Amino acid sequence: MNSYFIEIGNNSIQKRGQEVCGDVFMSRKLQEEGRSIAVLSDGLGSGIKANVLASMTASMALNFTIANQPIERSAQSIRNTLPIDNERKINYSTFTILDIEYDGETTILEYGNPQFLIFRETEPIDIRNVNISQKSELMISQLKAQKEDRIILFSDGVSQSGMGRADMPFGWDIANINEFISNKLKYDPQISAEKLSKLIVNRALMNDSLSAKDDITCSVIYFREPRDLIICTGPPYKKERDETMVNTISEFNGAKIICGGTTAQIVSRELDREIDVDIFSGDGDLPPVSEIEGFDLVTEGILTLGKVSDWLENNEKINYKSPAGKIIKLFFKNDRINFLVGTRINEAHQDPTLPVELEIRRNVVKKIAKILDEKYLKEVHIQYI
Amino acid sequence: MSNEKMYNVKICTGTLCHVMGGAELPALIDFLPNSLQSKVKVTGMVCANYCKNPENKPPFVLINNELIQEASIEKIIKHIQKSELEF
Repeated sequence: MNSYFIEIGNNSIQKRGQEVCGDVFMSRKLQEEGRSIAVLSDGLGSGIKANVLASMTASMALNFTIANQPIERSAQSIRNTLPIDNERKINYSTFTILDIEYDGETTILEYGNPQFLIFRETEPIDIRNVNISQKSELMISQLKAQKEDRIILFSDGVSQSGMGRADMPFGWDIANINEFISNKLKYDPQISAEKLSKLIVNRALMNDSLSAKDDITCSVIYFREPRDLIICTGPPYKKERDETMVNTISEFNGAKIICGGTTAQIVSRELDREIDVDIFSGDGDLPPVSEIEGFDLVTEGILTLGKVSDWLENNEKINYKSPAGKIIKLFFKNDRINFLVGTRINEAHQDPTLPVELEIRRNVVKKIAKILDEKYLKEVHIQYI
Repeated sequence: MSNEKMYNVKICTGTLCHVMGGAELPALIDFLPNSLQSKVKVTGMVCANYCKNPENKPPFVLINNELIQEASIEKIIKHIQKSELEF
């Protein structure tokens, strides 16, 4: 079992006037090996050319690291492969590689990017002194990350933002960045990696008076306790297991969703708690949500799950106020998603004269689980009852 | 003592009722004639298994615990108006 959950968030803004960003961030989770690899690369110049350089660098660095290649050789291979710039007659890109094991053992390789920062809870710490080898500008740091640590990587678009302004002639210096992040962490100690990186990028853009002078990118890696969610849908195949189902969900430590009218009734009956239907909370397409004390969300079953599945595939359409959107929001907030699926078939749903086709619950759940695993990198477990 | 009769309209929000037209029913409050507006309370219920009997026809609504089948806004209002006359 992982001792940490590693949450990775990244945000970029391209230099004003450019179509794409010349900084590229890539990450890969190697579940079997218990490792996560992340790479931030900044290509020479800006725009498409920089993006190509950075993409090549990042994907090579990522794959060499996955294959456990010695770093010196990887760096040499990258340098040999990159095309030479026509104007400047050089090839160049910077990179930072993070190799994180799930017990917290982390190796960081830096070449040319601004130095990474580490925050333990709300304060910056300096780990660099512990173990550093310096060889041809390549810096290697090793650390044992602890729970509630955050590693912050950024491109020079962040540290040089605001350069030339009377109040920050040399850009946004490390001391000020540290103070900014520290304040954000004090204000919201649980802030997500995604949100913190967004705040830093936005602040850098503000330093540049809302017109980015270089590509701005910030990635945050957050080591934390995994957050658990259980979603219980469908009545158990055998009635005798109703009690087991209700016990499992009520004793669960984490967020709880009940998805299905009959399921809600079983829970209400076994726990002797009332169901309160908020009749006006539907979104036109979906039946409304209800409330049962002690549960985060109670929705209708198969129609809502169908929409959750559609929206997870097409995430620009999500309406977070709809019952399906509320489920998705809870999925996004949590790392380990547990499905407890009752497999009894609802006879009334099988009538071929119904105006819409009602899917079999088990199939929809499998589809959602697959998307959550592959697209959103969640750890998903399904249990049938 | 008020001599007004109150009507508690409970709409089933189960899957089957929803797809069979129950989705439209919460709009009932917008269609109530003025004379009934203060007398009708609209609430919801989770599937109460009326659909498990194949003889019954969704969507279902309970008006003061009396079951209405194949409910529509029109049918609900007619039912209430009828009981107003009898009352």
